[in-house]
Amino acid sequence: MSQTAEAPVTAAPPPKKGKPALSEGKKAERRLGLLLCAPAAVVMIAVTGWPIIYSVWLSLQRYDLRFPDQREFVGFSNYVAVLSDGYWWTAFGVTALITVISVVIELVLGMLLALAMHRTLVGRGLVRTVSLIPYGIVTVVAAFSWFYAWNADTGYLADLFGADAPLTDRVASLAIIILAEVWKTTPFMALLLMAGLALVPDDLLKAASMDGATAWQRFTKVMLPVMKPAILVALLFRTLDAFRIFDNIFVLTKGANDTSSVSMQTYNNLIKGLNLGIGSTMSVLIFIAVAIIAFIFVKLFGASAPGNDPGGKR
Amino acid sequence: MRSSPGRRRLLAAAGATLVAASTVAACGSESGTQINVYYAPEQNFQSVIDQCNKEAGGKYEIVYRKLPRDADGQREQMVRRLAAGDTDLDILGLDVTWVPEFAEAKWLEEWTGADKTAAEDDVLEGPLSTAMWNDKLYAATKNTNVQLLWYDDTVTPTPPATWREMIDAAKDLKSQGKPYQILFTGAQYEGLVVTYNTLVASYGGKILSDDGKSVVMDKGAIDALRLLKEVASEGITDPSLTNAQEQQVQQAFERPDSDAAFELNWPYVYAAIQDANPDRAKNFKWARYPGIDGPGRVTVGGYNLAVSAYSQHKPESFEAALCLRSAESQRYSAINDGVPPTIESVYDGDDAEFVKAYPMWETIAEELDDAAVRPLTVVYQNLSTITSKVLSPPQDIDPESTAAELRDQLQKALDSKGVLP
Amino acid sequence: MTQVTPTFIPQDAGKAKSRKETARKARWTVVDVVIVAYALIPVLWTLSLSFKTAEAQTDKSFFPSEWTFQNYKDIFTTNEFIRALINSIGIAIIATVIAVVLGTMAAYAIARLDFPGKQLLVGVSLLIAMFPQVSLVSPLFEMERQLGLFDTWPGLILPYITFALPLAIYTLSAFFREIPWELEKAAKMDGATPAQAFRRVIAPLAAPGVFTTAILVFIFCWNDFLFAISLTSTEASRTVPAALSFFTGASQFEAPTGTISAAAVVITIPIIIFVLFFQRRIVAGLTSGAVKG
Repeated sequence: MSQTAEAPVTAAPPPKKGKPALSEGKKAERRLGLLLCAPAAVVMIAVTGWPIIYSVWLSLQRYDLRFPDQREFVGFSNYVAVLSDGYWWTAFGVTALITVISVVIELVLGMLLALAMHRTLVGRGLVRTVSLIPYGIVTVVAAFSWFYAWNADTGYLADLFGADAPLTDRVASLAIIILAEVWKTTPFMALLLMAGLALVPDDLLKAASMDGATAWQRFTKVMLPVMKPAILVALLFRTLDAFRIFDNIFVLTKGANDTSSVSMQTYNNLIKGLNLGIGSTMSVLIFIAVAIIAFIFVKLFGASAPGNDPGGKR
Repeated sequence: MRSSPGRRRLLAAAGATLVAASTVAACGSESGTQINVYYAPEQNFQSVIDQCNKEAGGKYEIVYRKLPRDADGQREQMVRRLAAGDTDLDILGLDVTWVPEFAEAKWLEEWTGADKTAAEDDVLEGPLSTAMWNDKLYAATKNTNVQLLWYDDTVTPTPPATWREMIDAAKDLKSQGKPYQILFTGAQYEGLVVTYNTLVASYGGKILSDDGKSVVMDKGAIDALRLLKEVASEGITDPSLTNAQEQQVQQAFERPDSDAAFELNWPYVYAAIQDANPDRAKNFKWARYPGIDGPGRVTVGGYNLAVSAYSQHKPESFEAALCLRSAESQRYSAINDGVPPTIESVYDGDDAEFVKAYPMWETIAEELDDAAVRPLTVVYQNLSTITSKVLSPPQDIDPESTAAELRDQLQKALDSKGVLP
Repeated sequence: MTQVTPTFIPQDAGKAKSRKETARKARWTVVDVVIVAYALIPVLWTLSLSFKTAEAQTDKSFFPSEWTFQNYKDIFTTNEFIRALINSIGIAIIATVIAVVLGTMAAYAIARLDFPGKQLLVGVSLLIAMFPQVSLVSPLFEMERQLGLFDTWPGLILPYITFALPLAIYTLSAFFREIPWELEKAAKMDGATPAQAFRRVIAPLAAPGVFTTAILVFIFCWNDFLFAISLTSTEASRTVPAALSFFTGASQFEAPTGTISAAAVVITIPIIIFVLFFQRRIVAGLTSGAVKG
C-alpha cells in the first residue's frame, strides 16, 4: 500500500494494458501484490508444474510400464478408449451420485452444525472440538471402523436394519458409503461456515431483529449474503474432494457390486495395471470434470470468488 | 499469523533448524556393505535377518526395510522405485504372481551358476515354478501357502472329499437346522481369483495357454464357472460372501453363534481359532481341499526373494537372499510366523517343534505335491482385476456369457489394449 | 413486534430473565448432546476396539467385556511408532506454519490489491487442488530422488505446503475481503505505517480465517497417507498414517484391528489439542461497531 497522498483505494478500474502512465501508487501496489504472491506461487509451481505437465503428456501416449518397447505417441486415442468404456461411465455415474448426495447433506448439516458451534451457550469449546474429531481421524481407520460395524459377522450395526448383509447390496452399500463420507467431512464444511458466521456483524443482526425480522429472515437476508464467500470455499473444496472419493469405498466394499468410483478405476489402471497412458488419461478426465464443477460454482457465486473484487472499497 | 519481518525471520530460522536436525538424525552411519531387503512386515523376520547377519560375519549387513502390510501396497512401492532405477533396493520380497511382470520389465537379476543350484535345491515343484519365467530362474522361494478344508467334526465327522459331496452335505445340514454354510473368499479381489483358479485346476481346465500369450477358457474353466455359480446361489454360503476376505471368513467360523460348517482358508486359521474360540477349536479339523473327482488342485500363494537389477551389491545380495530362505530360516519362519516352507526337507515328521506348530503338515505337503499356480503372465495384475470384476458377484455368473466376456477382456489385456474396470 | 420499554418491577425482571436463560441453556444442552453423540459414537467404537482383547475383537458388542491396555502397550514396545509420531508432529507443524504464512500473504494481495496475474494465480492454485494426486506422486517421487529429498522432512513438507496452499488462499481471501477498507484508511489517517496498519487492525480481524485455515491445513498434513507412504522409505521421515499400514497382525491375513485402533486413538489426541487451542480464536463480532455507517 503506497504512502502517497493519492488513496490507492479509490475504485478506479484496473488500468488497461498498454496504457502508458500508471500512477506511482498503482505501480507500488502492483509491486507489492506480486511480491506477496511470489513465494506461494513459486512453491506451488515448482512442486507441481513438472508433474502435471508430465501427466498430461503421458495421457497422449500409449505407455505400459511392462511393455516399454511399445511406447509411442497416440494423440487422443487413449481418451477415446476411456470415454467409450462402459466401466468408466458406471464409475462416473456412481461417483457423481455419491458426490451430489453427500455434498447436499453436508451443506445442510454443516450449516446447522456451524450455527450450533457458533451460538451455543453451553460448552462451546467442547462442542467445537468434539465436532471436529470425525474430520481429524485418519480416514482409513474411520473407514475400517465402519466396515467392522456394518459387517454382518462382527458389527453392532449390521442387525439394526434387518437387511442380511448391507455391505453386499448395492443400494445399501452406497448409502453406507455416503453415511461414512458425510460423517467424516461435515466438520470441514461446518468449520468453514462457522468462521464465515464469525464475520456477520452482531449489530446488523440486532438491528434486523429490532426491525421485526424473523429468525429465518435474519438467516437468509443478513447472514447468508455475508457468508457467501465462505460458503463458496466450503462447497467448492468439498465437492472437489468428494468427487475423488477413494478410501471409504475401497475399505467398505472394494468397489464390488458396481460401487467403484473414478478414482478407484484410475488407481487400478495406473498403479495395478501400470498403464501410465490410460491412467494419466483418467486423471486428466477427472480433472476436467472437476474443473467444470468448479467453473459452475464460481459463476454461480460471481463476485464472491477470490480475486473478483478489484480492490475497491466495501 | 503476523507477517512482520522479525517474526518471520525467527520462524524461518526455527524451521531451518528443525529441518537440519531431522536430516542429520536421518543419516545413519554406514560402514561396510549394507544390503536392503524390502519385504512385507512379518513379525519375526527380523530374527531371521539377525541370524543371517551373524553368519555373514561382517562381510555385509542386511537391513530390513518394511513394506506395507497389504500386497498391493508392497507392489506399488517397489514398482515406483524400480521404475525410477532406485539403487537403494537390493533384495525384493515378491508375491508369487509378480515374478513374470518384474522379470519382463528387466527389474530382476537372473540367478545363475551355483546360486541357481542352491536356490533350486530340494524345492517343491509348485512353488519353484512361480520363481521362473521364460525358463530362467529369477527368484529364490522363501515360503509358500495353500488353502485347506477346515471343518467341525461334531457337525461333520467325515469331511467331504469333493465339491459335490460338500454341497450336498451343506444342503442336508441346513434342512436339519445345524450349522451348514460353506465359507470361502468371495469379495471382489485376488482371493476370489485364487478360489476360481483352484476350481479350474481341479477340473483340469485352463484359463490361459501354457506360454501365457493367449486365452483358452476351455470346458474345464466353464465348468468351474458353473460350479462357482451353483455354490453361491443355493443359499449355502454366508450372506456376506461378496464382502468376505480371509479375515471375514475366519471370523465367521470362529463366531460363537456361527452357522458355518466348512471353511476354505489358509492354515493360519488354526492358530487363530485356538485363541478366538477355544471350545470350537477342540473340534476344529482339517482335510484336503475338495476337488471334482477327488482332492482338489490348490492354488499356491507365498513369497519369493529376488535380487534387484539396480542393486550395487549383487554378489552379496544373492548370498544374503540364500541365507534368508535357507532351510533353517524357513523352519524358523514356519514355526514362528506360520508361513509354510518351500523346501521339502523341512517337512519332517520327526521334528517335534515343527509338528507342534504345524499339526497339518502332512496334508499341506500332499497338497503341495499336486498344486496349481495362477496363470504365469506379465499382465497378471490386469488378469486379476478383470477376473475378480467379471466374476463378481458369483451369484450372477452365467457360464457361457461370463466365459465369453472373460475371453474377450483377458485377450485385450494380454494384447495390452483396453481399460481396466 | 415493537419494542416496549419494560416497566415491570426489577425483582420479577430478574426472575423472568433467568427463567428464559435456563430454558435457552437447556435447549442448547440438548442440541449439544445430539451433536456430541453423532460425532462420537463411531469414535467410541474405535476406542472400544482398542480396549478389547484380540479374541473379543469379533464379538459384536459395543463395549469390551474385558478391558485391556495390551494394545496400547504393544504399539509402544518398539521405537517405530514414537518415531512416526515425532515425524508427524514436526512435519505437520512446520508445513502448517509455512502454508499459513505464505497463504496469508498471497490472500491479502489477492483480496486487497490489484496486480497483473491475479486471476491467473487464483486459477492455477485451484488447478493444483483439482488435479488427482495419484498421478502426481510418481513424477514427484522421481524429482525428489534426483534432488536428494526423498525420505526427508522437507521431502514431505514441500508437497504438503503445495497442496494446502489452494485451500489456504481461498479461505483467507474470503476473510480478507470482508474486512472494511475504512479501517485501514482510518488507521493510516491516524498515522500508522502500512505494516502497523496490517498488524494492529487487519490481522486481528482476519484471525478467524487464519485459525480456521491453520486447523484445516494441520489436519490435512497430519492425516495424509498417499504422500507419506510414497515419499518415505524409513523411519527417518515416515509419518503416522503410513506407519499404521506397517502394523502386523498375527499373520499375513489378519489385520491388527486392536493395535491400529489404539494407534488411531493416540494420534487423534494431538488434533484434539490443536483444535481445542485454536478454536477459541474463531470468535464473532470482531467487525461489529468498528465502522460507523
